[in-house]
Amino acid sequence: MGQSLRLGPALCWLALSAPALADTSPTNENLHLDPAWLTLMHYQQDNLGGGFTSQADDPNFFLSDQGKQAPDRELEATLSAIQQPGSGDNHAQCRFPARTAWLSDQLDLSLPAVDCPAYEEWTETLNTETVTLVFAASYLNSPSSMFGHTFLRLDPPQDDDETNLLLASTISYAADAAAHDSEILFAYKGIFGGYPGITSVQPYYEKIRLYSDIEHRDLWEYRLNLTQTEVDLLIAHAWEIRDHNFDYYFFDENCAYRLLALIDVARPGTDLLGEVSTHAIPSDTVRWVVDKNLVSEVYYRPSAATSVAYSLESLPEAQQTLAAAIANGYVDPDAQEIQQLAPRQQAHVLDATYDYVRYQSEADGWPREFAAPLSHNLLMARSDIDDAPAPRTPPQPEIRDDQGHNTFRASISAGQQAHREFTELTLRPAYHDVLDPPAGYRPGAQLQFLRLDARYYTDNDELQLEQLIGVEIRSLSPRDQFFSPLSWQVGFGGRRTDTGDKRVLTPYLEGGAGGSWLLGNHLQAFAIATADLEIDDDLRRGYDAAPGADIGLLHQSNRFSFIAGAKTKAWIVSSQHRQDQVYVKGNWHLGRAFSLFAEFTREDHYDRYQSTWQTGLHAYF
Amino acid sequence: MKKLIAGAILLGASSMAFAQPGCGVGAMIWKGQSGIAPHVLAATTNGTFGNQTFGMTTGTLGCQTNESVQSMALYMDSNIDKVARDMSRGSGENLDTLAVLLGVDAADRDTFRKVLQDNFATIFPSSETTSGEAVDAIVALLEQNQSLSKYVAA
Repeated sequence: MGQSLRLGPALCWLALSAPALADTSPTNENLHLDPAWLTLMHYQQDNLGGGFTSQADDPNFFLSDQGKQAPDRELEATLSAIQQPGSGDNHAQCRFPARTAWLSDQLDLSLPAVDCPAYEEWTETLNTETVTLVFAASYLNSPSSMFGHTFLRLDPPQDDDETNLLLASTISYAADAAAHDSEILFAYKGIFGGYPGITSVQPYYEKIRLYSDIEHRDLWEYRLNLTQTEVDLLIAHAWEIRDHNFDYYFFDENCAYRLLALIDVARPGTDLLGEVSTHAIPSDTVRWVVDKNLVSEVYYRPSAATSVAYSLESLPEAQQTLAAAIANGYVDPDAQEIQQLAPRQQAHVLDATYDYVRYQSEADGWPREFAAPLSHNLLMARSDIDDAPAPRTPPQPEIRDDQGHNTFRASISAGQQAHREFTELTLRPAYHDVLDPPAGYRPGAQLQFLRLDARYYTDNDELQLEQLIGVEIRSLSPRDQFFSPLSWQVGFGGRRTDTGDKRVLTPYLEGGAGGSWLLGNHLQAFAIATADLEIDDDLRRGYDAAPGADIGLLHQSNRFSFIAGAKTKAWIVSSQHRQDQVYVKGNWHLGRAFSLFAEFTREDHYDRYQSTWQTGLHAYF
Repeated sequence: MKKLIAGAILLGASSMAFAQPGCGVGAMIWKGQSGIAPHVLAATTNGTFGNQTFGMTTGTLGCQTNESVQSMALYMDSNIDKVARDMSRGSGENLDTLAVLLGVDAADRDTFRKVLQDNFATIFPSSETTSGEAVDAIVALLEQNQSLSKYVAA
């Protein structure tokens, strides 16, 4: 402490006098408040007071000891440092090329020429002409993926056919989670901070391998319309933040957030970060980028799973059965059944089967002793067929992920429960339920966060919290002869529960698993075994548990979605009463911004029947 | 251009380092090597995405000083199953990537694809073929071809 007290005045003196020593002073004394400077340094205005704090959590990101909180000191220190004579990778000009370029431009500086071999080699190797924002869509069975993921691809000039985008480099920002951390610790640290965020550069084919082959996520590639100068600035800034720690938070300072900052730097005035309020959901961030007219072209790259499902579907039924038989080892790849097909059809069956076996090896862990020789035989047979056209790729979905409904939903409705009338207000910050407009989302997938339902009963002017959902995940993914995913659900929060004589707000935990089957184009049936746990003083023994079942039908289309079914729960600890329910819920979609909804539930509990109905409007924004 | 791409692929693999080119076992040493040579055909991965990506073994590659061939070997190492698939079909973006890495001119691309498809069984004699063995076989095949031999000349 004593030392820092003594050091303090000295540093202040140095910082204040540095510009004088360098014999250049800012022509604009408020330059440190220029939005471009604040963006370059990742300063955010403090909630209290008029100061600024940088989101960079690494002292080496700053040239002034007070840089984290003092935009002016940092600017002065930077000005002085970049004007120092000298050379080599440690020179401030080499460490901070974007700041150097901006300051030099603003103040019309004539800076000493500095050699930066490492930085020059880096930019030369990246050889970037355009930048593409890549969005990895969610995939059904992973809740953490449902928000999506984004990274940047640095595209080399496309002027000759030697260019191949698989080899292009990508920049991404991710939590550097220690491998041994448990899922729970991961979630905790991700939400409350504790992981350093790391910017990494990798070839695109590695990203494709991870997202498309292993995680089965479709990729959307949004080519940005940045000019060469803007691209250069983006690359320069990526260099500046590359090895520096920015604490990682799932909800706001996440993968998408840091990339937005890079784009903001590249095109000053864009202010994509200004759009971020409490959370930056990658699909939302893509929307902002599209809305700010930054996108020139969009390209769809289906995942391995999407492609294999499509090529199996496009086989005639008899050949689908044949493919299933080969994949399961009942028929050899060079068997008579295959040989009698036309070469083109043979190729199609072999291609689809190989892709399917490979998919199953990755996704379901088919044993190598079985899958590897089979794969090899399939490829050997396929290599004998010349001039067959390459498998057709799945068509681009009509509605892109960024064109789906917005994720914040507010609803107002009116209804009646056991002859008591109420008005209800619901707020749901994120993200999607199975009855929301399905376009741009995975069919059968639901992920709701922090949904709050408040009811006002008109008969006695009473305002009640009806339910507060912490997290609710549902994944209804149909099974067929090739794929057999598990349908499952999990959720927790607080909800009104019937104790026999009153409805009390009770913490709950629920889960379930089962299957789902496609009945028609947009219609599926599901059967789920469920389990519920409620804990509350008002329950006779303080808690209650119920095994149960939920069987129903789900229809999802761009006009109309409904779910209807029957639920039964056998409460076995406190109340020892069965709770049986039939329910119908329907949403009529008016474009992507509004839905009209209605729901009806009839319940038998404690030997009495009760009906609830409700109708209202959802607005998405 | 070719050099830049070769450079790009090396930059991506920043966790590894080349030793001096030369012959013999250990001529190419990969920092962070996992020790398992990737076999052809997915099944080894079991859906994990680990450090095996650059777990390349030596093979006879140590004698190859051609930088393009080394880049191709590196690419094959982490994409072997997709390369094998494209080769069996005689088309596909992973096969095109090999052509790019080797610097095969547009005029020779069809020959390149055809040679690799027709010799699939030579390149991948069994499901236990490693990517290093496949690279060696490809180099040997291309060396025998009049129009393609120039791309693999050491």
